[in-house]
Amino acid sequence: MPASRFSQTGNYRTRYRQDQTIFATYAEQASLIVLLLVLLLLPQVLPKTVLRDVNLILIYAVAVLGLNVTTGYTGLINIGQAAFMGVGAYATALAATRWGLPFYAAIPLGGVAGAVVGTIVGLPSLRLKYLYLAVATLAFQVIFDWGVGHSPLLEQGGAISLPTVQAFGVRDSFLNHNVFWYYIILPALVVLALLWRNVLRTKHGRSMIAVRDNDRAAAAMGINPGTAKLTAFMIGSFYAGIAGGLFAYFQKAVVIEDYGLSVSVQFLAMAIVGGLGSVPGSFLGPMFIVGLDRVMEVASQRLGDMNIFPAGVDAATALRPLSFGLAIVLFLMFEPRGLANWWRLSRTYFKKWPFKF
Amino acid sequence: MTLLPQLLLAGIVIGSIYALAALGFVLIYKSSRVINFAHGQIIATGAFIAYALTQGGLNFWLAGLIAMVATFLLGMLIERVFLRRMVGQPIISVIMVTIGLASVIEGILHLTPYGNGSFSFATPAALTGGGLDLFGTPLSRVQIVGVFASLALLAGFTYFFNKSTLGITMRAVADDQMAAMSVGTSVERVFALAWAAAGLTAAAAGVILGLLSGLTIGSLTGIGLKVFPVVILGGLDSVVGAIVGGMLIGILENLAAGYLDGIVPGGGTREVFPFIVLLAVLLVRPYGLFGTKEIERV
Repeated sequence: MPASRFSQTGNYRTRYRQDQTIFATYAEQASLIVLLLVLLLLPQVLPKTVLRDVNLILIYAVAVLGLNVTTGYTGLINIGQAAFMGVGAYATALAATRWGLPFYAAIPLGGVAGAVVGTIVGLPSLRLKYLYLAVATLAFQVIFDWGVGHSPLLEQGGAISLPTVQAFGVRDSFLNHNVFWYYIILPALVVLALLWRNVLRTKHGRSMIAVRDNDRAAAAMGINPGTAKLTAFMIGSFYAGIAGGLFAYFQKAVVIEDYGLSVSVQFLAMAIVGGLGSVPGSFLGPMFIVGLDRVMEVASQRLGDMNIFPAGVDAATALRPLSFGLAIVLFLMFEPRGLANWWRLSRTYFKKWPFKF
Repeated sequence: MTLLPQLLLAGIVIGSIYALAALGFVLIYKSSRVINFAHGQIIATGAFIAYALTQGGLNFWLAGLIAMVATFLLGMLIERVFLRRMVGQPIISVIMVTIGLASVIEGILHLTPYGNGSFSFATPAALTGGGLDLFGTPLSRVQIVGVFASLALLAGFTYFFNKSTLGITMRAVADDQMAAMSVGTSVERVFALAWAAAGLTAAAAGVILGLLSGLTIGSLTGIGLKVFPVVILGGLDSVVGAIVGGMLIGILENLAAGYLDGIVPGGGTREVFPFIVLLAVLLVRPYGLFGTKEIERV
């Protein structure tokens, strides 16, 4: 007897086929469609400055989704996600400026470049456990920063401007820049998120989770942990590369500062705050951190006006790392499952109302 | 051929500081299997505490000593407040906590007047005199004293580790936590001590580095990154490895700077060469020169 497709208050799955469904109920499917419709109409309502932040959140969500693939779902700590994003951004920029590729070819190319580099960096994962792997990705981040800074082809890390683009008869201009890219970034994110959700129910996705939970047990079950880890690295850095390409076009230029170690830490903060190993968490985390960033901006301005700091202190450069770090530490200590867990709890509350459990 | 001995000596000078910094890192890893990403920030904290005290008119040596005591306590505090709650959590969370802490400490440092710009200790009177001339390489007295202070601290810690009861307890916990607990060792106390000792050596490394090449947040926290090539080369859980690895990385990066900077456009190979060594070591011999071989193929 299949469980109700309309409303479920518990886990009634009795077959693997049910476990493989993307949506457990019609209500879930419907709510996603409603959410997407609302998102499509968002630019009509939101002011320009807010829309800019929404775009940033969506781009970060792509990168954090990728980080979740490696760190959240496969358990490989990656302290170089920003560098993978940078690889994508530079590949996109070169493709667009040198070869004159249109953006819909240049951005996927950035993703492929990210995936190739990510797979190479992930190669040590065939031999190494997560501790050492974290160090390997850190080394890649440092080498990437240095390499770009010393490469004449990439302007020594200085700005490489990207050409403006045209799509569906609309030209990207100063006036409609945010709206224009919103309608490109949002579909990209939706497609990538659904893609990952689908990979998750395949053999590959499930073997990644098995490797995270216990790699020896996974190996005993006939999974090749090395393949699973490399696949995770490939997918994760592909997402980072796409995010890099989108970010390059959205910022209109590629600068090395946007892809440094602190950005990698910021991505980790987003993934942890959102909830490691959760797709909704990949959206909630960037929302939280970008929101926190804006709050800190205002706060540091206020504090700066109040003159409570000694001379020479730039409150903004102090409060940003301070708040990110605190977010990481506090969430890990008190809510290791992140905002995604709150989201899940509040959903079950409404689903089961008026019963407590 | 004066270049080679010059580079070697410069490498030993900076290498002894790396070794000192790596020692604290290894102490923490050895006892509690935690990779400490906040080490560079603790180094910077120690150095700036000492600097602030000398600015307040305190004697340099006394300031350095107080800074070491302060980071000793800071290490203990970090362990007590943040790390002890994480015992039993997946190792990935514990590592992330240190990454978060690194960010927090860096933020706090930026809140002090020392967050921007570079500063330097007023060279204490005892160190201003002339130095030595070794193989045609002038070495200042500051450099010589810096090297010997680092070596003395390293020797002291190695002795402490091998001979004292506390040191032996720490090694027992590192060897087998369960077995150490069953014979009545307080594992918590060992963890706290490891962090405290790491803080102490971190401050020493920070002060010596500050004396040699000035204080900026970036370069001090950068040592926390340079520690990774050192400990991976030497072996994550080996005190001897930290010392040898520190010297080797110091020498290698100076050799790279001396011989490769002319070839590589833009130079600055010093910054990146240790990390290339790191990747090579990870691929060939991940447990390093002296580390325990525990990596399994999967």
